[in-house]
Amino acid sequence: MLSAATVHIATPAFDWHAFAPDLVLVATMVVVLVADLLLPDRESWRTSSIAAVGLLGALVPIATLVHSGHDRNLFNGAYVVDHYALALKAFFIIATYITVLLSVDYIREGDYYKGEFYFLLLVSTFGMSIMASSRDLISLFVALETISIPTFVLATFRKHDRASNEAGVKYYLIGVLSSALMLYGMSLIYGVTGATKLSDIAAYMSQHGTVPLVAVAMFLSLVGFAFKVSAVPFHFWAPDTYEGAPTPVTAFLSVASKAGGFVALINIVYFGFFLPNGRAADSWWPVLWVLAALSMTLGNLVALRQTNIVRMLAYSSVAQGGFMLVPFAAAGIAGADGHPGKAAAAMSAVVIYLLIYGAMNLGAFAVVIAVARRTRSAEISSYDGLWEIAPGLAVVMGIFLASLAGVPFFAGWFAKFVMFRAIIDAGTGWAIALGIIAAVNSVIAFFYYARPIRAMIFHAPTTEDRTPIVIPQPLFAAIALTVSVVVVVGIYPQVFARVGELAF
Amino acid sequence: MSALAYPDHITATYYLVLAAILFTIGAVGLLVRKNTLVMFMCIELMLNAANLTFVSFANALNDISGQVIVFFTLVVAAAEVAVGLAIIVAIFRRRQSVNADDVDLLKG
Amino acid sequence: MIAENVVFGIIAAAMALGAIGVVRTKNVVHAALYLVVVLAGGAAQFILLGQEFVAWVQVLVYIGAVIVLFLFGIMLTRAPMHPKDSLDNDLRWPAAVTSLFLVGILVGLLVHTFHADKVDVQRPVRTADVTSSIFTTYIVPFEVVGVLLLGALIGAVVLARKD
Repeated sequence: MLSAATVHIATPAFDWHAFAPDLVLVATMVVVLVADLLLPDRESWRTSSIAAVGLLGALVPIATLVHSGHDRNLFNGAYVVDHYALALKAFFIIATYITVLLSVDYIREGDYYKGEFYFLLLVSTFGMSIMASSRDLISLFVALETISIPTFVLATFRKHDRASNEAGVKYYLIGVLSSALMLYGMSLIYGVTGATKLSDIAAYMSQHGTVPLVAVAMFLSLVGFAFKVSAVPFHFWAPDTYEGAPTPVTAFLSVASKAGGFVALINIVYFGFFLPNGRAADSWWPVLWVLAALSMTLGNLVALRQTNIVRMLAYSSVAQGGFMLVPFAAAGIAGADGHPGKAAAAMSAVVIYLLIYGAMNLGAFAVVIAVARRTRSAEISSYDGLWEIAPGLAVVMGIFLASLAGVPFFAGWFAKFVMFRAIIDAGTGWAIALGIIAAVNSVIAFFYYARPIRAMIFHAPTTEDRTPIVIPQPLFAAIALTVSVVVVVGIYPQVFARVGELAF
Repeated sequence: MSALAYPDHITATYYLVLAAILFTIGAVGLLVRKNTLVMFMCIELMLNAANLTFVSFANALNDISGQVIVFFTLVVAAAEVAVGLAIIVAIFRRRQSVNADDVDLLKG
Repeated sequence: MIAENVVFGIIAAAMALGAIGVVRTKNVVHAALYLVVVLAGGAAQFILLGQEFVAWVQVLVYIGAVIVLFLFGIMLTRAPMHPKDSLDNDLRWPAAVTSLFLVGILVGLLVHTFHADKVDVQRPVRTADVTSSIFTTYIVPFEVVGVLLLGALIGAVVLARKD
């Protein structure tokens, strides 16, 4: 009887090259853990170098995969390594690399577990890297949880601090709730379509149109994702969590982990509910339309009232999330109209916006960390007269804020440009209405991004202390990297436009 | 309503309706309770409802992936609970309360 | 078929009552024990559906590990066993409206969409098929879950450790 029960498991063909970036990340995790064990406590901050080298190392197989040129479909298309996935993997890895640069001195000087910090960052990055390639509900879910669970711990990392504790518990409850909603939605989608692979779900959708139950299931999944990307009205955890978490973790949450949620959203909505002919798009674009309009408007209006720069950046990131949803909704509108080509162009606008937002937001947080090294404060009033104390930092901060606002010839301008182009391409009344809301909000955003700039230039410094702010090398490198991306992309946007075109 | 009128055999719909009811009870619990531990338990109820839905569909569709996804959900849920309780223990070290409403240092 | 109907009905009622118990009880330990009823009922339903593998995983992982973790959490935080004030907040009416809305939509649509689907309990799924599926088609999520568990383990230790 026993022999009847044994099963021969055929070893699946395994493309090691396709998995090389992820394997490098896993190897780095292990080395970081072992090194943390071997190094004496006082030296354990050096694990950051291992993490940084490992992250840069993971870029090598990505480069060779890009060079090899052809798309790789593994497991019948459940795991795809194409240009879209590779571009995002590279983005996630570079964003984490910059986060490591931001963290080195912050973590070294505080009373933290050092090796574990970098280990958890790497686990989260590994989840993002898998997410970029996932085209199946199961691996999508597992990847999203691999992104989220380490970040719950990271948000609570300053565990003797009440604000950090609260940041952690709020983020955790919302995170787990959103995965429960998403999972229930996925279960209904699976039940109706009988498939877990996104391409099969899309095939079902284009054949049968949208069943009412699928619309509800989609709605539940979209609400789950809306929590993850902190879209209004599911954003209320974000400001508290951003303020309470250690600042480098906040930078990571607002860029890498938010981008992870966005990529999950793109994968499930675009590859699952959209392709091959976009007929099912009319069931999800209204949800995204509403989320985009609410996030932009509310995020901006509340950001106007903030006196703390981290909270201001938190609400600004809610609003920026809304701007990113604008071309997404436009893609749905174009798809429902029967223009899959325009929809693909709009989706590449989402990716371009995401990449640019990553560079400018990480940069802004880098400056916040540098200034807080001296002032120990994140109030906007602590930026009074920064121009006199540290003109370099003031200029760089000005560049990041101007870029976030969308001032021409910084990268943020190009992000806004592709967003509006997607709207105009879609062209229907609903699209134009969303475009008008976005335009009004771009103007509102100027006011609050200008406030720290005004404080830096026109207010007198509050202290007599004129000793220059000492910026440690890694932090300097992070600022230099992000500012050069923001300036270069602002002047030669073709660099990123090309990445976006490759993707879709 | 025809399915519910013929109770001579059980259809997948019965299981799905049970799961929907459990999901709703979990969601309500999450809204009305303020003890963090009980809120976790309510989320577990919702996850369990999702699992029951997956398994019923796996049976109705005679498809294996419904079971596989439940296996993964169970593992992930265990990891989530471990981290969540660690966070609660860390909070409790600082302050002797686990009520979500007491956690209101940051607002607005 | 009648016996199966009766068994389903009894377990379903127990699960629903257990779930209401989790939401209603004033004692946190009781809430955890009510949760055991729901989870055990879930495992029983899985067996009724002929899906033994996940039924036993549910018993081992949920009732064996998760509930024990919950009970440890309750003990470590000395959560209120006999609270003077209730565990509820003041969202009762919004919650009632939400629940009616949610259950109405879900049940209505489920009955509308799937009224014809039969459950074929003559067709239990072999555990061997599940494992071979996990180790071939779903090998990537399986490996990722391994990394996730390591991360969760280390994260939980970092947070819960006394220092």
